[in-house]
Amino acid sequence: MQRYEIMPFDDLWIGEMLDVEVGGVKILLLNVEDEVRAYLDRCPHRASALSEGNLEGLTLTCATHLWEFNALTGRGINPESSELIRFPVHIENGMIYVEVPEAGAIPQHVDQGED
Amino acid sequence: MQQQFVIVGANLAGGIAAITLREEGFDGEIVLIGAEPYPPYERPPLSKEYLQGKKPFEEALLKPDSFYVDHNIHTQFGVRATRIDTREQVVELEDGDRVPYHKVLVTTGVRNRRLRVPGADLEGIYELRTVADSDRIRAESRGGQRAVLAGMGFIGCEVAASLRYHGVDVTVVEFFKTPLFRVLGEQVGRVFEAFHREQGVQMFFEESVAAFEGTRRVRRVVTSTGRRLECDFVVVGVGVEPVTDIVAGSGVKIENGIVVDEYCQTNVEGIYAAGDVANHFHPVFGRLIRVEHWQNAIHQGRAAARNMLGKREPYEDVHWFWSDQYNYNVQYAGFHGGWDDLVVRGSLDERTGVVFYMQEQRIAAAIAFNHGRDVQRVMPLIKARVQVDPATLRDENVDLRSLMPGAKPIRTHQHRVVPRPVARPGEEVR
Repeated sequence: MQRYEIMPFDDLWIGEMLDVEVGGVKILLLNVEDEVRAYLDRCPHRASALSEGNLEGLTLTCATHLWEFNALTGRGINPESSELIRFPVHIENGMIYVEVPEAGAIPQHVDQGED
Repeated sequence: MQQQFVIVGANLAGGIAAITLREEGFDGEIVLIGAEPYPPYERPPLSKEYLQGKKPFEEALLKPDSFYVDHNIHTQFGVRATRIDTREQVVELEDGDRVPYHKVLVTTGVRNRRLRVPGADLEGIYELRTVADSDRIRAESRGGQRAVLAGMGFIGCEVAASLRYHGVDVTVVEFFKTPLFRVLGEQVGRVFEAFHREQGVQMFFEESVAAFEGTRRVRRVVTSTGRRLECDFVVVGVGVEPVTDIVAGSGVKIENGIVVDEYCQTNVEGIYAAGDVANHFHPVFGRLIRVEHWQNAIHQGRAAARNMLGKREPYEDVHWFWSDQYNYNVQYAGFHGGWDDLVVRGSLDERTGVVFYMQEQRIAAAIAFNHGRDVQRVMPLIKARVQVDPATLRDENVDLRSLMPGAKPIRTHQHRVVPRPVARPGEEVR
């Protein structure tokens, strides 16, 4: 795991999402009701970019087939059985840091769910 | 005495209703009856993933057989219900069985329209509704085969895309000017025409099938202009009609399906309807609408169950559906019974954008190509019947969420972020 400094916390407003490539890995950074989260920017359903989706309150919805996730935990709301790949986030001295493994250590995508 | 709720139609709407009843704590008897010999399953894969051979049938099942046993839901699959006897309060089955009910939910869906032309009974002419239908089409789907499709609605479009995936030669005969003409209009219909053409689909518009020719099996389709199209098989997708036979003569109001209010109730006490068959009063649009989409089957099935339990919750979801064709993700939200203005956001030529169907400056519906996020953002606007300035809709710098009354300020610009690897104390930066 490698730690990366991303951006000042104050620059990521509540309800905002940002897609950023970190160490060769596509990450989705979110401010969910003042909590910062970082997930792999890839929907477990058909690998769509979650950053194209919508963050409303605590729910992150993928744009392609409207799969819904709890943005604080990454767990699936609809369908329940899915889960996002999450990366550790630290806020120190007003800066957001994310720990990301090497790109090769990220599990390959396998299509989940039915159409 | 314990209540017994009967659901006629073991499909997505009916299955979801049964599941919802148990989830909501209903501890009476539930009987789920369906004509197909399978537990409830979803139909969208039948024209896409399943037809392409990418997904097994098991993954289309709503729940495995064991689920119904575990949740004490009595099932009768492969049996057709024929009639609801409102006086005796029983559902009659084709095998003579009579199933008593305290409340009954009708989710009998729709059936495909047939073409009544010479040769319609020849072998090799298929339709698509059930998994058995999809199996028949898939058995024919290999390179070198030639298919003629009658109709280019959503089924025609998706089947064309799936057949092209298999390398089948596809020709479509469509009555209107473009694919999906009635639902989407000419301007948007042409976008579909263009990408199907690019994928090698041949299309003839403003023509219909006049006859099928062949000895035992179809060899040729003859169109209304006398065109003769050689083929190995045919798929007919010319629309559907609601299946209302079961309530005929029962006093239940039938008009473009089974008429229900916003609580999924018919005019007859104890009889409910949901899904494709239900012509439901929609509070947002102020009229009856009947919707043939997956999302409605699920949400209305759930709403009907909750209302059967006395919850009295109006069903007023803004309708939404999707269609995946080739690598295009198309999404649609809302309901328009006609429109007075079309507003385009993004680029139809580049096939990434949204088209808004307007009625008196309100968004009645929207269709998006590879732009699902905006469809989600527009659904509250449709529901709230907000009037919007077309110029604002066209401006891609405007976040659609900001158009809701009372919306918080939303920032659309993000300065560039460049992540920087840092060492932890004692580590080196790689």
